[in-house]
Amino acid sequence: MSEPRPVPSRRELVRGGAATAVAATALATLPTAATAQRPSVSMRSTDRPRTLTAALPAPPDLGVIVHNRCAFGPRPGDVAAFQALGSDDTGRLTAWVDQQLAPGSIPDVDVDNRLSAAGFTTLGKSLTELWADHVVANPPWEVRMQPLWETRAATWIRAVYSERQLLEVLASFWHDHFSVFGPDYWIGPVFVHYDRDIIRAHALGNFRTFLEAVATSNAMLYYLDNYTSSDAGPNENFARELFELHAMGAENYLGVMSQQDVPLDGNGIPVGYVDGDVFEATRAFTGWTISNDSNNPDVGNTGEFHYRADWHDRFQKYVLGEFIPSDQPPLKDGRDVLDRLANHPGTARHIAGKLCRRLLGDDPPQSIIDQAATVFAGAVAAPDQIAQTVRTILLSTEFQSTWADKIKRPFDIVASALRAGQADFPFVLGDSDYDSFSWRFSQTGQEPFTWRAPNGFPDHRDAWTSASPRVMSWRMVNWLVDVTDDSDNFYLDVLAQTPAGVRSATELVDFWIDRIHSRTLPAGERAELIDFMAQGYNPTFDLPLDTDDDIQERLRSLIGLMFMSPSFLWR
Amino acid sequence: MCKTTRRGFLMGCSTAIAGLAGARFSNLAFADTNGGNNDELLVIIFLRGGMDGLNVVLPIDGSDRGFYETARPNIAVPLTGPNAALPINAQFGFHPAMSPLVNLYQDNKLSLIHAVGHDDVGRSHFDAMEQIELGTPGTVSSTTGWLTRHVQSANNLPPDIVMPSLAVGNLQPTSLLGDYDAVNMEDVGQFNLETGPYMWRDAQRLALRHLYEGDSTWLHVSGVQALDAADIIELNVAGGYTPSNGAVYPSSSFGEHLRTVAQMVKLGLGLRVATIDLGGWDTHNGQGNDGGGYFAGLLGELAAGMEAFYLDLDGSGANNYTSKMTTVVKSEFGRRLTQNADNGSDHGHGNLMMVMSGNATGGVHGTWPGLDNGQLYDGADLAVTTDFRQILAEILIRRMGNPRLGVVFPGYQGYAPLGVVSGTDLPPDYSAGQILFEDDYESGDLSAWSSAVTG
Repeated sequence: MSEPRPVPSRRELVRGGAATAVAATALATLPTAATAQRPSVSMRSTDRPRTLTAALPAPPDLGVIVHNRCAFGPRPGDVAAFQALGSDDTGRLTAWVDQQLAPGSIPDVDVDNRLSAAGFTTLGKSLTELWADHVVANPPWEVRMQPLWETRAATWIRAVYSERQLLEVLASFWHDHFSVFGPDYWIGPVFVHYDRDIIRAHALGNFRTFLEAVATSNAMLYYLDNYTSSDAGPNENFARELFELHAMGAENYLGVMSQQDVPLDGNGIPVGYVDGDVFEATRAFTGWTISNDSNNPDVGNTGEFHYRADWHDRFQKYVLGEFIPSDQPPLKDGRDVLDRLANHPGTARHIAGKLCRRLLGDDPPQSIIDQAATVFAGAVAAPDQIAQTVRTILLSTEFQSTWADKIKRPFDIVASALRAGQADFPFVLGDSDYDSFSWRFSQTGQEPFTWRAPNGFPDHRDAWTSASPRVMSWRMVNWLVDVTDDSDNFYLDVLAQTPAGVRSATELVDFWIDRIHSRTLPAGERAELIDFMAQGYNPTFDLPLDTDDDIQERLRSLIGLMFMSPSFLWR
Repeated sequence: MCKTTRRGFLMGCSTAIAGLAGARFSNLAFADTNGGNNDELLVIIFLRGGMDGLNVVLPIDGSDRGFYETARPNIAVPLTGPNAALPINAQFGFHPAMSPLVNLYQDNKLSLIHAVGHDDVGRSHFDAMEQIELGTPGTVSSTTGWLTRHVQSANNLPPDIVMPSLAVGNLQPTSLLGDYDAVNMEDVGQFNLETGPYMWRDAQRLALRHLYEGDSTWLHVSGVQALDAADIIELNVAGGYTPSNGAVYPSSSFGEHLRTVAQMVKLGLGLRVATIDLGGWDTHNGQGNDGGGYFAGLLGELAAGMEAFYLDLDGSGANNYTSKMTTVVKSEFGRRLTQNADNGSDHGHGNLMMVMSGNATGGVHGTWPGLDNGQLYDGADLAVTTDFRQILAEILIRRMGNPRLGVVFPGYQGYAPLGVVSGTDLPPDYSAGQILFEDDYESGDLSAWSSAVTG
């Protein structure tokens, strides 16, 4: 270890900004004049080279695309297993997708073991049990919120360890689509039910059925105030978001316009909705409430959905170009609204577009949105309507040719780092390292189930490219390679996974690029990683990884760096 | 400037670096206006969810008081009792939770504009916010926010500014969409790269910079942006921050965010634009009766924060930051006149906008449309009589010295300052034209883009 370290070149100093100055100052041999040349960091500066003309990276092998967009990142071996599924890309993709669209047929032993080892006590409770134990019993806050917290820990476990990755991706999608604020006083205690019986139960199913499950769910009834909506006092919050977010989307909102002025499409259906439709739908959902009143024996206090005929507006309504007659049977008015929404072509386009945005790229080609919308509309009565739509998107040529129109959000970054690093992390309530994990992750802005507005976490890069989510995600993954349990064992054990024959900087970098990315990286990025690992020494020399703590630490820093790198974010 | 951490020691205690950095930074920020160095700060406080402006500045007399009380039997702010409205003139009163701002209003440091909005903006939260923040009512197709286009088109800013734009909060708002010069942070104390294996942190940070400087896709450029932001904060933010004049911010994230903006202002980083959000205004249910309850608490937090922010920045001489600061408080739309059955209010239309500045003219501006049924928008909401862009355009020209209205608000015409702030009017430039963005992000002829946005 006597080889002298190289002095950074002038170019390094100029381009390196503050961090270069650190390295330079550490050497303490640099002339003051050279130090003074360092440009101060300015966000707005003529010094900053900036053009966005660079080409985006070309699509990698299909197995890499699949595991970055339909899963929470590839684990070592996942892409090779994908390759073994068939003789060509189409065959492999079809086999993978069909397998994943039948999640019940995929054994998930690791997740089962981890969930049972974690000691969760609320994940198996029914809605009425959750209500009795966590609401009616009026327990302390940490017990009240336990169902939410356990669901969150289980969500991490499944994202990182489940074999049913597409289901996990879609569960995340639908949690964003039908977003509720988990830590809400009324929602936290029943969150297990919302996640298990509403979101996951319908994630691949029929959209119309899904809509009604959400509309009658305790969590959504509280979140959007419909539980108070009555004939005497209608509350339009739910009906508005039902149109705007859950079904047709704001792109089909025609603004303040009379219902009779809305143009009709070729089938005589209004092309969009207006406030009048929202107001009339509000009336249709009056009386859709919750069993939450122990003083009223007719209503009870079970926490379940409850229809109060005495709160319902029984008179005629007019929604989306059709009348809803007076005095229909219980629930029929609201169900008519849900029928019309689920069948509206605008809903098909809205849902198809959002699925394409999640599964392909931020600005997906219109061709695949149209194709998916057609399948969605055609399968409107099918029990596997959503699965059919997803299958269409994933087996499209557009899916295979799209890459780098999207980046990982913070949750994806952290889950995929844990997967790539084969981490064995304790997602257990009360574990101090999981507490630290949760606190750190909350700073990225994507703590699961905490988006306050009903539109869910944004799914477009525009929301996630700014400095705060980026820096906080960097902090998080760099912490992950460094955190140890009480016996000083690393949860993400870089050293243990590095074979004995891999010891030079070049070998270490190439081994870990393959392990983390399952693909090659741009030459410049690889060279920077090798430079970092070599620290001025010949990159082909074997490093004393087995005996030198500093080199071990450097290797962990290298892995942290790879999790922070641009290539780790593309999807 | 000198930090006690190892990294800080290495970085900050080199007097050569510190001296250089300090000199450059202070030259830029709040310097005398010469050579086109506009040094005004614009702060946008966005109240997410649709703030009920009819319960912030409300009628206290005449027939409108009657309409107001009839429509809001429970949630109206009363004229008497412990939560009585605070009269600000013969026509209007403040919600009692606005009491921290009474002195500022009386000193003419707070201008109020009622019935602001745009008729193309509907009752959808997300569409409305998007359209307002893009500065393009009626469409959402722009790829840049209005504040981004302001900072990029202003030709009176120095070429180098350490931190021209700051978005405090988890995520950057749409108004700064496409601004690769902006810093976005939630918590100053956590905004650093001090995690991971200790020994190689500095080398790793250098390598990370090289990785992101190695290409120039939007991902790479935004990564460099994040690294620069972290460098700036670490270089400049040492130790704690004590607000001036005994200002006490609310102990909430909103209070912390305001405090952070004030801290950045005083560090002399050249801040020109800052954004802060305060959410929770979508009061469909139980907003509070008779001037109390939930809404009063939230409004009190807003008012106390604004008061503390002004007080903190209110100094003399070189510390007279309020003379360079304009703070705009707005929301995506107002709420319906008539309360709903849950003692809440539903999505409405026209709303209150507030402008707090050392250069405010004070008073109530705009045209009050009235609350009689025939005067309401769609028979239900406060009508819009002032385009929100009219207020912002006045501030852009009179305070920020940027007349490029055609770039910032494509399609907007007819500059007509209401006089909410003092300043010099410049001839407005409505051309989309050929704008020379120094950074090449949006180079080229913008007229096609502009007509696409407005057409």
